[in-house]
Amino acid sequence: MENRNLKISAQIREGLAGMLRIWMREFQLIFKDVGVMVIIFAVPLVYPLLYSFIYYPEVVSDLPIAVVDLSHSAESRRFARNLDATPDLRVTAQTMTMNEATELFKKREVRGIVEIPETFSADIAMKRQTTVSAYADMEFFLYYKALMTGSSFVALETGKQIQVTNLMNEGLTERQAEVTAEPIRLVDNVMANSAGGFASYGIPAALILIIQQTLVLAIGILAGTARERHPFGTLVPLYRKRMGTLRLVAGKTAAYFTIYSLLCIYMLGMIPQWFGYAHSANLTGIMALMSPFLLSSIFFGLTLSVVFKNRESAMMLYLFTSIPLLFLSGIIWPLSNFSPVWLVVREIFPSSNAMFGFIKMNSLGASISETSREIVSLWIQAGVYFLTACIAYGYQVYNSESLRMDLLKLPFREMRNRVERGVRS
Amino acid sequence: MKSIFINIREVAKRECNRMTSRSLYLLAILVFPVLTILFFGSLFKEGVPTKMPIAIVDLDQTTTSRIITRNIDVTPLSMVTMNLQSESEAMSQLRSGSIYGFVVLPKNMQADILSSKQPVVSYYYQNGLLIAGGLMQNDLTLILHTLSSAINIQKREAMGQPEDLIMAQVQPVQLNTHQLFNPTSNYSVYISTIVLPIMLQLFILLMTVYSIGIEIKERTSREWLQTSGKSIVTALTGKLLPYTVIFFILMMFQNFMMYRVMQVPVHTSAGWLMLSSLLFVLAYQAIGVFCIGLLPLMRHALNLSAFYGILALTLCGFSFPIEAMPPVFQYWASGFPVRHFMHIFQSQVLAGFELRYSILSYAFLLLFMLLPLTVIARLKSALIYQNFIERVHKS
Repeated sequence: MENRNLKISAQIREGLAGMLRIWMREFQLIFKDVGVMVIIFAVPLVYPLLYSFIYYPEVVSDLPIAVVDLSHSAESRRFARNLDATPDLRVTAQTMTMNEATELFKKREVRGIVEIPETFSADIAMKRQTTVSAYADMEFFLYYKALMTGSSFVALETGKQIQVTNLMNEGLTERQAEVTAEPIRLVDNVMANSAGGFASYGIPAALILIIQQTLVLAIGILAGTARERHPFGTLVPLYRKRMGTLRLVAGKTAAYFTIYSLLCIYMLGMIPQWFGYAHSANLTGIMALMSPFLLSSIFFGLTLSVVFKNRESAMMLYLFTSIPLLFLSGIIWPLSNFSPVWLVVREIFPSSNAMFGFIKMNSLGASISETSREIVSLWIQAGVYFLTACIAYGYQVYNSESLRMDLLKLPFREMRNRVERGVRS
Repeated sequence: MKSIFINIREVAKRECNRMTSRSLYLLAILVFPVLTILFFGSLFKEGVPTKMPIAIVDLDQTTTSRIITRNIDVTPLSMVTMNLQSESEAMSQLRSGSIYGFVVLPKNMQADILSSKQPVVSYYYQNGLLIAGGLMQNDLTLILHTLSSAINIQKREAMGQPEDLIMAQVQPVQLNTHQLFNPTSNYSVYISTIVLPIMLQLFILLMTVYSIGIEIKERTSREWLQTSGKSIVTALTGKLLPYTVIFFILMMFQNFMMYRVMQVPVHTSAGWLMLSSLLFVLAYQAIGVFCIGLLPLMRHALNLSAFYGILALTLCGFSFPIEAMPPVFQYWASGFPVRHFMHIFQSQVLAGFELRYSILSYAFLLLFMLLPLTVIARLKSALIYQNFIERVHKS
């Protein structure tokens, strides 16, 4: 009994030593490879800064529009002034005809047109309903939104004023008139990202995607390079000491986990702080979400890495998946409108749940229990991809081992000859 | 002169043989681009989001509050999936992501309306997701204003005002919104038409860099140059020509999917569509040549082109308008062919403006084709001396 215990503990010790060796070896490989260094360090460090500067203004304000004032009255001029006064719009041109305004629009000097009808002031005086037309630019969603927000606000406010004036003329007090015009007071509460900033919305999600994509890419590139470097194109080197599925997977995982934990502090802690993005998540929350995310991304990357024959194939997968994954996460298109097929595909990638969970935690202030769906999914992914990574690496180890055994049977000279030429027989 | 054509043909033939030798080629020029087109085509099938889940916190529990709930439920955009008891419960559901917004109907609302006490109805929506938040805001604001007006109308009817006058009284200024030069407010049109070219440019860049870089990496570049009669221009033309054809066909397939299958309106002739598509492919091939010429070591050239290609999504102005960016990035944005392609699409194809409004964009696309000239000498020496090969340590 004692003997057996000793044996097991010796085995564990050897396994840990092996894992530590692979861990350090992986560090060595990463830091020696400029291409991988660029992907692991330069991309996560530079992209967040670059995106933050590009989206620096955050919101579209003072959208240049043209007003076609066919009414030429005090009322219509006031309407145009009110449009100009909104934070969303700026009246840069007043034209006589719709054609002139269209011409400006085609030249992109204005991004929207508001047309005030000829009968505007007469309608108001006669207590008839009048119709103002707004023409929006559909090139950019945010331009459309700015024109709609600004012009509907002015139309509603002007309408309310006219209504109140009319009611007061009928003999109501100001308070009575206001209550009649607005029987229910509506209070608009915007949750998360109250300024509607684009960077606050897009960048945190992009950061999560960058983490997964660079991880998968770096692991894939190193695997491709390993195959290019090793004789016989095996993924696992032929040294006996570097074999052992579990210690390979654990050792490599430990290396990436340490690097990316440090990067997370910068990307998810410092960047939001510096640029004033939402950062309502606390440290425990972020750790609860990011640990399964990093693990599942690493295992996912390890699983995929066995198919990469050379460095380039990983890059191709990276380019192909990055943009679709952004759309698949559900931060652009509402998840409630996904077809069941895409909802299933969405669950394949750790980034989808992590992006959603991170936005919930950071901008809405969701607690760990309110993010439990995402966290549980990520742990399930981590478990599944751990198994697939072990199976994939187990097969590679078996491959290298049997090759090694074959070689050992040969006379030394023949063996050296084959290793040098890199052929199996 | 005649021999040049023969050489180009020889190089192109050689390239076609190389293409069939690795699965990477097949994936990047056929499988992935087609999958992308199918993905984006089916993801936004509905065009506009519908039936987004929201909750009602009905503290009033009267006929009026139930009418309001029903009216919110029937709007196409939102669907009431939960009736909750308290505001904090709804807030928790919003944070957990199961609803996009909620409306709180206060206690004594009906009584307060009747006694003209102006009850306060609050609505909440999550703006962390920009499109969903924007739509939710518009929808809830509109429907609640309409309901408020409906109460206004009922009161006036009770006061004995003539019906035909009431509408003008309640809503003196009506806002009619139009989308200029584009009848559809379909999101799939705005997203797919831009994202598909962005995806394709990634593949064009990747294949251009890869097909040249692999010759250097695997030391076959001298043989390639030999086939072309030692002319770098012939060598590049012959090598890239098969890809030009393939990617042009993919562009046309994309156009077919967009304008025929997805019914995006076209206001220009097929000739212009073909010309802009061809220029788009050529411009990106030119940029690919520039990348590998600048950094003849393939992995660096691939990193460079990937960095540049992914940035196109941001800098083409599709997500965030270019005019609203800091000036530096506005200039930078002109360095992306997809930006000019997008302008041609918006102005000439979708809106049907005259050519003179988009001619500048065509000129820009042509300008990109001069880029390879700046690196051609460097590339040629890299092909001959093969001095950019990374050393692989055998272990």
